Amino acid sequence: MDLDDDTSVLSTLKSFNSFISLPEHPQRPSDHSATGSGILHNQYKRSMELLEAAEKVQSKNRYLQLDQEKKRMEMSHKRARFELERAVSDNARDLEHEVDRNQDLVGRIKKLEGRETDAAKNLCEQVEASRALRKNLDGLNKKIDERDSRLNTANQTISSMKDEIRELKQQMQNKDSTISAQTLENQELQEQLDLQRRKYQEVSQLCQSLQAAESSCSEHVIKIKELERRLAFQEEDIAIVKTVKLEVARLPDLEKELKRLRDDNAFLRESRENCSLLKEEVEGLRRKLERMEKTKEELVNMELEKERLAEKLKAWENLGQSTGLNIRKPDDLSREVIQIQQREIALKEQNYSLNSRVRSVERSQAELRAELSQQRSRTMEEQKKREAQDALVRRLQKRILLLTKERDGMRAILESYDSELAPTEYSPQLSKRLREAEDILQKTQNHNAEMETQLTKAQEETGTLKLQLHTVEMELERLKKQQASVADSSSLTTKEEVGILRQKIEDLEAERQRLEEQNNILEMRLERHNLQGDYDPVKTRVLHLKMNPTSVAKQQRQQEVDALREEVTHLRELVRSLQDGGALVHSQDESSLHGSSLGLSLPPSKEVLDLRKQMESSELRNQRLKEVFQRKIQEFRTVCYVLTGYQIDITTENQYRLASVYAEHMDDSLLFKKGSSGSMQLMETEFSKTLGEMVALHLHHQKSIPAFLSAVTLDLFSRQTTL
Amino acid sequence: MTSTLKGITLKGSAELVAEFFSFGINSILYQRGIYPPETFTRITHYDMSLQLTTDPKLKNYLTNVVSQLKEWLFECTVQKLVLVITCLETSEVLERWQFDIECDKSAKESREKSIKTIQDEIRSVIRQITATITFLPLLETPCAFDLLVYTDKDLLVPDKWEESGPNIINQSEEVRLRSFTTSIHKVNSMVAYKRTDSV
Repeated sequence: MDLDDDTSVLSTLKSFNSFISLPEHPQRPSDHSATGSGILHNQYKRSMELLEAAEKVQSKNRYLQLDQEKKRMEMSHKRARFELERAVSDNARDLEHEVDRNQDLVGRIKKLEGRETDAAKNLCEQVEASRALRKNLDGLNKKIDERDSRLNTANQTISSMKDEIRELKQQMQNKDSTISAQTLENQELQEQLDLQRRKYQEVSQLCQSLQAAESSCSEHVIKIKELERRLAFQEEDIAIVKTVKLEVARLPDLEKELKRLRDDNAFLRESRENCSLLKEEVEGLRRKLERMEKTKEELVNMELEKERLAEKLKAWENLGQSTGLNIRKPDDLSREVIQIQQREIALKEQNYSLNSRVRSVERSQAELRAELSQQRSRTMEEQKKREAQDALVRRLQKRILLLTKERDGMRAILESYDSELAPTEYSPQLSKRLREAEDILQKTQNHNAEMETQLTKAQEETGTLKLQLHTVEMELERLKKQQASVADSSSLTTKEEVGILRQKIEDLEAERQRLEEQNNILEMRLERHNLQGDYDPVKTRVLHLKMNPTSVAKQQRQQEVDALREEVTHLRELVRSLQDGGALVHSQDESSLHGSSLGLSLPPSKEVLDLRKQMESSELRNQRLKEVFQRKIQEFRTVCYVLTGYQIDITTENQYRLASVYAEHMDDSLLFKKGSSGSMQLMETEFSKTLGEMVALHLHHQKSIPAFLSAVTLDLFSRQTTL
Repeated sequence: MTSTLKGITLKGSAELVAEFFSFGINSILYQRGIYPPETFTRITHYDMSLQLTTDPKLKNYLTNVVSQLKEWLFECTVQKLVLVITCLETSEVLERWQFDIECDKSAKESREKSIKTIQDEIRSVIRQITATITFLPLLETPCAFDLLVYTDKDLLVPDKWEESGPNIINQSEEVRLRSFTTSIHKVNSMVAYKRTDSV
């Protein structure tokens, strides 16, 4: 296929090249003949066609290439697919294998698990079995232990029993020894008894001789008493001589002392005089001191006064500046003062004169006022009279006017009537009218009179009222004058009050002084108390440290006292104990220390304690040594008994008793005595009597005690075994 | 304790007064023989030689008291300091050295007073204390001393301190001594002793 493709490609290339080469030939000649542009255009078209063909060819080539590639790819794909399929199949096979294996493994696992559970169960069972076994073991161990303990206890009991047996044997032996010792003692006592009897006989003989001697003794005793009396006198004389000698020996000392005392006396007298002188000096100095202190106080006071005076002086000096006067010296001041005083005196004189004038003026004023009042009253009365008279006058004038008017009227009437009379007869009418008119007139006159009377009454009333007013005014004025006069009189009363007040002031001042003195005394007392250390518990509190030196010292003192008391009691007990011990000692000894009181001197406690300690230690040591020695001796004795076959006891001094192991009777024993030369000798006993042959052989001939003893043992042993 | 500042503050005044008390008490103990003279060493202060104790317990006690006193002086709550000398055998008071303290509570800023003046005053007080020993009766029995502080009633009592009585001498003679002032605190001193004819 590729070759085909190649050949197709080659063929197309050949065709293309041939196609290209063809138009080139005709192009050359056509260039010369045809017109340029048409040819070019055709050429251009051909080139374009060629290009297109080339492109097509190229695309075809490409297409073919791609096809080839695609086929190749497909091939490769197929191959790959094949391979993959193979691989897949392989994998599938593997998978199956694996699955099979897996199943196998799973099966195995299950089996193994089953086995594991079985194994676990077995394990548990075995663990339980082991536990059970262990428990059994423990139980067995415990049993074993119990048995061991029992064994041990049994062993211990056995050993204890053995010890007891040994002890009992030893006790028995001891008892035997003690019995033998006691028998020996018995013998000894009997011997002593014999001795005593012999002695008694001798003593009786001696008694007789004694009685003879006693008589001689009594005679001697009398002589001795006489001699003793003489001795006593001589001793007294000796004592007297000794005292005299002592006194004589003391004489020079006394003389020396006398001299010294005389010197001291003289010196003391001188010093006494000096003392008195010094005391006088001291007193003088004290007085001086007091005086000095007083002068100091005075000085202080003086200084204070000086300061005050200086202040005053300054004030005085400043006065000039303060008052504004031309003052530089005290003379100026005194002059000023004198001037002022003079001015004052002048002013006072003026004052007095003015006062007297004033009083006179006042008096005249009063009189004038009184006159004035009287005049006023009079004027008022006259004014009223005048007014009344004026009023009367007015009334009269009015009356006159009225009357004149009436007259005129009446005249007019009359005239009219007179004029009218002629025609008619009206004289009665006229008379009536006349009468009526007169009546009316009278009435009016009466009325007028009444009115006038009323008027006058009213005027009188007003007049009286005015009078009253005036009188009241006068009274007021009088009262005012009285008040002024009363004010003068009240000045007198104030003077009395002033006097009373001054007395009160004096009393208060006296009280103040008294209170001041009391205050001073109280302040002194307070000062004193303050000096002594008193305080007000409401405001102050006194504190001190708990651990202060006084309390510490007191505690220490207390402790010392307690310690001393304990020591004293302890010492008293010691003394008492020693006294009792000493008393016991006295009673035992019956010595001549009865006369003396405690002849014992208390050794110091430290030594006693040390000695006691030493004693105790030494006693302990002794005890231990004794124990050790006893043990060792016992051991040795037992060993000797076991090895030699003889128990050797010491009965009395230098006497040894031997008892054989194989002795037939308990009493069979040999007695040996140690002689003065150091050699051992056999004593006669019942047992030794039976061994006469051996004694003769071994002791007398061979002169060997060990041989004898060994022969005895062999003999006894033979007897024992045969029996 | 000379400060370079000219003014005296409340704290400085408290320190000066506490220092004076410390030296004063030491010199009284030395002069009256309460403690053996070999337990004292000589030091120089206030331009004069003074005795100071070397006993550690006594030193400790004095520092405790003086430090507390300094606090109280700063708070202006202390009124008096008293040194009481008691006889150990009979437990009665033989001597009483009393120092009254007046505190100017209005002193907020420092006051102008030179340290030199204050020290001169203190020196004269201590000299006078030494001089008064000549007329005081001899203390023949073994004695112990105690320091009492008179404070305001409402003051909180610190622990290690407790209330006590005033320990006043009956039948006493009192002598007032000099005083000194730091312009904030004024200290008056006086001594009271038991009359010898009544002993």
